[in-house]
Amino acid sequence: MPLIRHGLADSLEAAEAEERLRQLRALLIGPEVEQIAALQRRLDDPRLRSEDLSASIAEAIAIRSRQDRKLQSALQPLIEEALRISVARDPAMLATSLFPIIGEAVRKAVAHALQGMFDSLNLVLDRGLSFESWRWRLEAWRTGRSFGEVALTHSLSYRVEQVFLIHRETGLLLGHLAFTTGILENADLVSGMLTAVQDFVRDSFGRMKTEDLEVMEVGEFKLWLQHGPLVLLAAVVSGQPPPELRQVFEREVEAIHRDFGPALQAFDGDSSAFEATHANLQRCLLGGQRARLRRSYKAVWTVALLLLLAVAALAAVRIRDNRRWTRYVDRLRSEPGIVVIGEQRHWLSYAVTGLRDPLAVDPRLLLAGSKLTERRVVERWEPYQSLDPKFEGMRKLDLEKAALERQVLHFDLNLAQLPMSQFNVLETVEDEITSLRQIADANGLQLRIEIFGHTDRTGKEDRNAQLSQARAGTISTALIQRGIPSSMLTVSGVSDRSPQHAAIETYPQELDRRVTFKVVLLQNPSSPGAPR
Amino acid sequence: MIQKKICMVGSFGVGKTSLVARYVKSIFSDKYFTTLGVKIDKKSLSVEGEEVNLMLWDLAGEDALTQIKPMQLRGASGYILVSDGCRVSTLDAAIDLQSRVEAELGSLPFTCVVNKVDLRDNWEVDDAALDRLRTLGWSFLLTSAKSGVGVEALFQSLAERMVREKKIDAR
Ligand SMILES: Nc1nc2c(ncn2[C@@H]2O[C@H](COP(=O)(O)OP(=O)(O)OP(=O)(O)O)[C@@H](O)[C@H]2O)c(=O)[nH]1
Ligand SMILES: [Mg+2]
Repeated sequence: MPLIRHGLADSLEAAEAEERLRQLRALLIGPEVEQIAALQRRLDDPRLRSEDLSASIAEAIAIRSRQDRKLQSALQPLIEEALRISVARDPAMLATSLFPIIGEAVRKAVAHALQGMFDSLNLVLDRGLSFESWRWRLEAWRTGRSFGEVALTHSLSYRVEQVFLIHRETGLLLGHLAFTTGILENADLVSGMLTAVQDFVRDSFGRMKTEDLEVMEVGEFKLWLQHGPLVLLAAVVSGQPPPELRQVFEREVEAIHRDFGPALQAFDGDSSAFEATHANLQRCLLGGQRARLRRSYKAVWTVALLLLLAVAALAAVRIRDNRRWTRYVDRLRSEPGIVVIGEQRHWLSYAVTGLRDPLAVDPRLLLAGSKLTERRVVERWEPYQSLDPKFEGMRKLDLEKAALERQVLHFDLNLAQLPMSQFNVLETVEDEITSLRQIADANGLQLRIEIFGHTDRTGKEDRNAQLSQARAGTISTALIQRGIPSSMLTVSGVSDRSPQHAAIETYPQELDRRVTFKVVLLQNPSSPGAPR
Repeated sequence: MIQKKICMVGSFGVGKTSLVARYVKSIFSDKYFTTLGVKIDKKSLSVEGEEVNLMLWDLAGEDALTQIKPMQLRGASGYILVSDGCRVSTLDAAIDLQSRVEAELGSLPFTCVVNKVDLRDNWEVDDAALDRLRTLGWSFLLTSAKSGVGVEALFQSLAERMVREKKIDAR
């Protein structure tokens, strides 16, 4: 466009041009200006900005989280805080959402722990209480081996089903032995795969971890691995192997290294050199004839059975004792002079109370015959007088006996003849003896009467002995003359050794010149049960 | 009885698993399932009247991410380097791999195999490439797991060499 520089026309022209320019500009860039204004508004208005952001935020997060983990780190405290607030406000909400998985998790954990506990408990029971374990103890004692060793060879709780001896470097099979006759056809494959698994484990869990894999669960079997520097012993075990088994494997692996070390190092695939390891493997095939694949509760049952037996034995003893007790009490009841008032059976003892005539049989004597243990029987007897005819006679016998033993026949100084004044006493004595004889006969007792002659303390010793003997003889003769059988009488002279009143120093000497009696009642061998 | 461990090595998809399957079970499948870790098979054969048990360790093929694990090579008495005639890169990889295996195991009998010879029309591997193998002094075979060409000979000849090697050692 040409420019005009001077004059009003010029300035008019300039204003016109300006206006035209403005129009042109509006025409050319008008829409852009409006757009810029709109953009300006959007940037200034937070609500509009949020709306924009919302369209792309999900995408943005996805992109960022693919790039690095900064977003996660930035969000972590926020999320934690939000969670904290949420729990503080309404704990039930989180509980409700966690509930379905928590139950499952807890159940699993508990079941796992319980199973472990039960297994170990069962093992302990198995070992500690089974009848076999005692037999093994005996065998261990007899053969001088350790209990563990003996138990290992017998235990039914597990069985080593197969053993593999594997050359570690090549993974090739050196030897294989199975409990059952059917040898696994692909034992050499298993051997290779085991080695590969070992490598894999070592590889996957890092090289610094030098520990080798020791146990694998294969279905219902356990695979126990024993590593040596040159060989690997793998044992397939069923049931619950005891920890001692590990020591057996260790020992054999060591022995194999000792005996075959150079051959193992030079091994190039020819396994014929290792046939002798057969013996080592054979020693590893331990365990019972019938392995219990399922967990067995035999031990528990055995204990229960033993308890039952013990209870039964106790009951049997108790029943036997009860029968003896009943018989004993019946016997007591039938005994004259004994009245049983009560009897009690306690856990460990028996008790009986009642009345007993002192003349009746001693219950302890009957007890001895009953086979009951005396310590376990408590008896309490109140004395009483029985009206049983038998005891009437006995009591009379006692009275008569006492009466006769009180009788004294006095003699004159230095004489052995009975003075006239004493004849009536002799008469009484004779009567009393006759009556005693009758009662004794009625009760099945034998009567003996000892006649003692006494002197006073004066006079010579041998004269006194002779005199006392003579006095007793006088009375004996007199009684025999009156019809008392001589076999019933014994005569002894006791001089002055048994004075009338031993306790008193001075009393009339003539009282000591006398004859006295002692009554002895003997059990008639033919009549039972009488006392004394 | 003599046992020998043989490793199958090579790039992925060259036909290691297929060769073993053809040899051991006389089967072939067009489907490709890549081997993870290691697969072990065995085959008995007779060498000079003696029974030999070959334990065939079919290792996962190498690719950009997977490298052969030296642990799995240990104890081998021989190995087979497999390549795929349709991909010349796998032959280069086999040549490279051989030096690594030899560093690990020492000098052992091995056979290089160019596989999939049934697809010879589509091969990238040409006579020049095969000449290169000759200049290396390698014994190599052209095989097909699909048709079975060369497979029996591959294992038989390697087994014989391994047994002979051993006898020379023993002398
Ligand atoms: N046509 C033809 N196909 C083959 C032959 N050998 C293998 N294949 C095919 O090639 C593919 C790969 O074979 P694989 O034997 O699985 O190869 P690989 O070497 O074991 O592979 P990785 O285990 O992944 O290392 C499969 O689809 C096979 O069917 C062959 O000789 N001829
Ligand atoms: Mg494969």
